[in-house]
Amino acid sequence: MNELDQAGLARLRDGWISGGAAFELAPAEWKEVAAASSPDEQERRLLAIAAQALNVALRPAAPKLLKRRLPLPVLALPMLPERLRPLLRAALKYAADARLKTRVAALVGSRGFVLHPMDWMPAATDQESPDIYAPWVDWQAGADSEKKSRNEYLTAETWDDFYPAARRSALVDLRRSAPALARTLIETKGASEPAEVRLALIELMRFGLGADDVPFLKSLSADRSGKVREMASRLLARLGERGNPASGGSEDPTVELAAFVEEGKSGFIRRRSTYAPIKPKSQAQQARRADLFASCYFGDLVAHFGKTEADFIGAWQFGVDDGADLFLVRMVAASGGDAAVASLADLLAAAGGRLAILGLQLAARLDSGRKRVLIRQILHDGQNLAALNMVEGAEAGWLEWGDLAKGKTLSALRSAVSGDNDVGKRNAEQHLETIGFLATAATAEKLIGEVVAAGLPPVSPSLSLLRLNAALTANATK
Amino acid sequence: MQLDLKTIEALAPDQASLGAAAKLTKRSNWPRLEAHEQLPLIWGECQGSGSNPYRVAFDTSDHGYKCTCPSRKFPCKHILALAWIGATAPDSFARVDQTPDWVNDWLSRRRKPGQLPATAPARAEGKSIDEASRPEETPPVEDAAAAERREAAQRKRSEDTRSAVSAALDELDQWIADQLRLGLAGFVDASSERCRRIAARLVDLKATALAGRIDELPAKLMALRGEERPDAAIRELGKLVLLAKAWRAAPDDAELKRLVSASETRDQILANPDAVQVESDWEVLGEKIETRRDGLVSHATWLLDLKSATPRFAVLLDFFPASAGRRSGAFAPGDRFSARLVFYPSRNPLRALVAERLGDVAPGAWPAFVADAAGDPLAAYAAFQDGAPWLSDCPIILPAGAIALDEKDGAWWQVANDPHGIALPVAGSVSQTLLGLDLAATAALWNGARLELLASQSSIGRLDLS
Repeated sequence: MNELDQAGLARLRDGWISGGAAFELAPAEWKEVAAASSPDEQERRLLAIAAQALNVALRPAAPKLLKRRLPLPVLALPMLPERLRPLLRAALKYAADARLKTRVAALVGSRGFVLHPMDWMPAATDQESPDIYAPWVDWQAGADSEKKSRNEYLTAETWDDFYPAARRSALVDLRRSAPALARTLIETKGASEPAEVRLALIELMRFGLGADDVPFLKSLSADRSGKVREMASRLLARLGERGNPASGGSEDPTVELAAFVEEGKSGFIRRRSTYAPIKPKSQAQQARRADLFASCYFGDLVAHFGKTEADFIGAWQFGVDDGADLFLVRMVAASGGDAAVASLADLLAAAGGRLAILGLQLAARLDSGRKRVLIRQILHDGQNLAALNMVEGAEAGWLEWGDLAKGKTLSALRSAVSGDNDVGKRNAEQHLETIGFLATAATAEKLIGEVVAAGLPPVSPSLSLLRLNAALTANATK
Repeated sequence: MQLDLKTIEALAPDQASLGAAAKLTKRSNWPRLEAHEQLPLIWGECQGSGSNPYRVAFDTSDHGYKCTCPSRKFPCKHILALAWIGATAPDSFARVDQTPDWVNDWLSRRRKPGQLPATAPARAEGKSIDEASRPEETPPVEDAAAAERREAAQRKRSEDTRSAVSAALDELDQWIADQLRLGLAGFVDASSERCRRIAARLVDLKATALAGRIDELPAKLMALRGEERPDAAIRELGKLVLLAKAWRAAPDDAELKRLVSASETRDQILANPDAVQVESDWEVLGEKIETRRDGLVSHATWLLDLKSATPRFAVLLDFFPASAGRRSGAFAPGDRFSARLVFYPSRNPLRALVAERLGDVAPGAWPAFVADAAGDPLAAYAAFQDGAPWLSDCPIILPAGAIALDEKDGAWWQVANDPHGIALPVAGSVSQTLLGLDLAATAALWNGARLELLASQSSIGRLDLS
């Protein structure tokens, strides 16, 4: 369309918008075509010409500046085969929240695949998704220029070449393989970062934490951020470096907490100390005790009683007060030494039942072997399986059929799905999803057969993660 | 299968349903009949009056059922026919050990009855499966005078309809002229009320299809930004002028009749020797489901011909009452199947019916279509408009490109490797993930102003965008 026609069209358009006859405003050629005996007919004919001009001859003008995003980074693992995507989508649909969806991604990642980005994407703030997705997290957070991939080695020189999620992931790897190198990086690069970033960096010191870290962590006692000081202090406590900044004063909280613990003796021949919680007398006392367990350090408490961490744990009277047991386990998880955490986990796993479930509070600090022992024990006991959902950092795809078949879980699942109790059925369906994450492909396959034989509809959505798991075998790419 | 005819008789809502079901028990109506090897489940696809087959599933143990047809009778004739075949010809069902996704979807949603029916419910009175099975009595042979009277009556009805539609178009013409006189700014603001009034008048004068189109105009305008609405009004009103003129020039033209008054039935299309038939492999590009102001839901399923050298499309169009609730379609985006389609006669054949479904086709990439010589991705749209300028949505295949955002975060499809090349605005919002993907080819609907994305091919496979 030439400029005259365009100008004519613009005049017609303006005329029609405000109303009234617009025939005289049209380009001469258009008027010739549209000429008719009735003025209304002339307007209609012009309208038809204008409509076609707008439709075909004119195209929407593209803005001068169109922003393109950087290409979505290609991840280091292959994408899930197309034929498995329906199973994946079913599992994602059944997963009720972002955490459970991330678990599906973790299972798929454990079998060597990543998800299709149109099926699932980690959020920009995601710190729970498997490390393989770090480039996508950074992309989601708005990474707007090419930076080096995770294949680059993280050093002081390459620090700025990494986006935050990729850097975090690289630092975790470095803390595990060369903790001193990672510490030096955090020390030199972290100092100039804002408090929020500093805190996140110091938090990574928990990976590969060792005695060599003490001087650096102590130096953080002068940090501008209270949260950073608190984090460093807790990490020091885990290393046996006692000294909660709040302890030792006239109103020492550790002394106050110790007043909620009763020291006793047991045994006729070899008398040994026991420690039992004293029942709070009021709601206010109960709340205060909870606060003290949360803020005091385990090392300070055991020192108050003149014991080692392991001795105190061995002497604690579990079962007297469930609330106090929980607070103590959380306290050990937050500020106990590695040996204390391990011995407490072993003790709780061996005790089984409710105490094994308490052991899950320690999950973030346990090695994979101890986590598996705890999970196996809980499955063996077959009680409160819902607790398995909160295992932090649980690994996917290792649970063997024997682990299930030996305990009470399998029979409990069978009777729940075959029974008439709707609540029981719903719970069992949730447990199937949890086991769908933990199980090996063979276990998943077998479990599907078992529960279907027991009466669960074979198309139940609760089987979706198990089905995906079972399909993710070594032959999945075929 | 634990089915007997007494059960089916008892399940039927009335004798008419049984009679209709009896006619559907012919194997030729069922391109697919399957039964689960272990579960008490049978299912099938029945070629009904819609553009694509209805999906029918039946639980033989508790007589639960599901059909995608819009019937308000429960169970519908398709369910009864499926159960009937199950009771009388169980060998017609292929035994399989997997249930298709749509059956799974139904099973996962359905609520099982507390008790299984031990015997057929006692509501078989007044219904007889024997009577329904009886062949229909042959109508008496019509004498010549009666035939002439019937034909004359039909001609009269036809002429009445034509003169009513002609009057409707006169009113429409006047109404359009009035809108121009009053100003399109006011029309855009009051389009809902004004369009409703003229649409009601057009329905009275038997221009039903045209009335439906005008009724949808306000929603189309409201979906656009304020500054775009006058242009959209000019485009749509201009198309109505062209359609009215075309109908007056050829009132017996099948396509124009369909757009102005009413569509042909499925049987009429299948029996029409002029209807184009294409047997090919088809991919479901995507679906467009819209609830209309007249209370109907239109369900368009867009297909791409995988064997054609140049892009060829088809759309399966079904309507059902919104009050019937959510319906699952016969196909899911990405499905591929081999089928013979029959196209409604048209200048640009698009609307089609599945005449025969011939089996599934393995997934894969789209063929490399021959591109327009001038490299204009909208060349197909220009040709489409030359043939039928009264239509809006035209399916196109766009070459390699990507999605970019303007300053207001509006999405644009932009041709690859040419930042100053052609760019087309995209309707609605797009997934953020799409902004980071290079699109090797994209199927979309272009209406002269906006692209509605259907699907893309990319380095990470097919992307469902509808």
